[in-house]
Amino acid sequence: MYKIMMFEGGVYKFYELKELVGDLGGFILQESVMQTETMMHLAFPEEDEREIRDKIKELGGKFKELALAGTEIIVVVPSLGKHHAVDPMCDIAEFLRRSGAITNMMGLARGVGRRIAQMTTQEKRIIEEFDAAVFIFGTFEECIEEKVKLCEKIDIPYIIVGGPSEMELEHYVGGVGRKTARMRNKDEIERLYAVASELEKALAEKRLDIEEDPIAASPLFIKDMIEMTILPKAGEELPNVIQLDGLRVKIEEEDIEKIKEIEIGNKKLSEICEIKKSPYTGYLLKIKSEAITGALF
Amino acid sequence: MRLGPEDKKAKKEYINKLLNLCFLYKIKAIRKKVIEMEVKVEGGSDFANESYTKICQDTFRDAGLRSNIDHVYMHCNPKEFVFVIATKIGRVSRPVTVWDVTLREEKKLRITTEKYAPKLLASLWDKYGEKVEQVGRLELLLKLEDNEIEELLKLVLYDPKDDLVTRILYALDTIIPEGARVRSPMRSANSVAIIASENPIGEEQKNKVEEMVSEYV
Repeated sequence: MYKIMMFEGGVYKFYELKELVGDLGGFILQESVMQTETMMHLAFPEEDEREIRDKIKELGGKFKELALAGTEIIVVVPSLGKHHAVDPMCDIAEFLRRSGAITNMMGLARGVGRRIAQMTTQEKRIIEEFDAAVFIFGTFEECIEEKVKLCEKIDIPYIIVGGPSEMELEHYVGGVGRKTARMRNKDEIERLYAVASELEKALAEKRLDIEEDPIAASPLFIKDMIEMTILPKAGEELPNVIQLDGLRVKIEEEDIEKIKEIEIGNKKLSEICEIKKSPYTGYLLKIKSEAITGALF
Repeated sequence: MRLGPEDKKAKKEYINKLLNLCFLYKIKAIRKKVIEMEVKVEGGSDFANESYTKICQDTFRDAGLRSNIDHVYMHCNPKEFVFVIATKIGRVSRPVTVWDVTLREEKKLRITTEKYAPKLLASLWDKYGEKVEQVGRLELLLKLEDNEIEELLKLVLYDPKDDLVTRILYALDTIIPEGARVRSPMRSANSVAIIASENPIGEEQKNKVEEMVSEYV
């Protein structure tokens, strides 16, 4: 299994760290160099953590664990109107990104109100493409109790964020409610930490499932192989997004045949993945478990 | 350099205007201390009441209405999904005239508040036609007699009273939960109130709300 962490530090000899990650069979997920400051998301085999830590100590950089790294999360609000956007929706999404997640935001078409709140089948299908969902449901307890019924149909881990400090719901974070300004006070930031840690708990079950029944190949490895075949377009940000058990590939329709032919070990990609067009964006690759595909190497 | 009599007159007018502005700001500051918009929210849980009090204050502040509203009363009934919000209109700022946004330099007008420039030009061209010429970005040349210029300076550009209710209604729409789409406004001389729900609002309910609201506005 790979471990994903963030490195922050100066540019001095940082290429040595990149080379070391490559030598250990790891990947650089994101990299940004701002004058003399560098930020990198690194993925490397778990057992080589000590070696990476030593190298970072030698370079004098900082090392941060990313609890939600390698996940794609969707933040769902009842609508994209002025009542729900931009706060607290964007604050939560931004905070989850700081923990390493790739976030997407979605406003339901008819999610407002109490009795009239609905979720369409298409919306449900889009939400289920992601690793986990965060539902933000306003201030009133009575409304949240009613809206929770919409989430019960969802087949992925999810958490609910609302106003009342405590409610008898699984994976619930209170004390947020409706906001008119950015969440920047100490108490509010604590709430954001609580959201991230609750999401981590919700995802732990899914991670455990994957650990018990491992997937045929790591999404990181498949992403690397895809990017070697189809080069990302210049200026395109995150063309391929990794998920816990698959990845989202944003490519043209004519390239899909090329992708199917990519060789991963002794099998083709189409043999180890279920490839389908996403109603949201790009193509979804769900990696089959090793028990189904057999050993690749 | 010695100042001529015309320059002295312009300087005096400028200083007067500055003093006037200082006086207005002073009054504004004092008034701000004395008159604070009162917000009262009832009906929900403690957290909801507190949260909606903040939403009301922030929304009215963003809409630039805090000084125009004496108090706001909101009643939330999330069980039946009925929300009532009532505002009492207080003082309204005086109309903005050409004198307020310009500086006269004999036959020239210098625009001091660019925000009003399009409205000012439109109304002057509408009234005086080619006698008003825009010589620079913020400079106007007036081919008018002195008495006409005096009259021109009194021309009203914007009266906050005109769109006050519209602005209040916009703010109320922002405060009321989005799901409460059935709205019933109640308007009187110095107040604006709205009942909002996701269910039809009956006459009985309206009367009940009117009684409740009359205590506050």
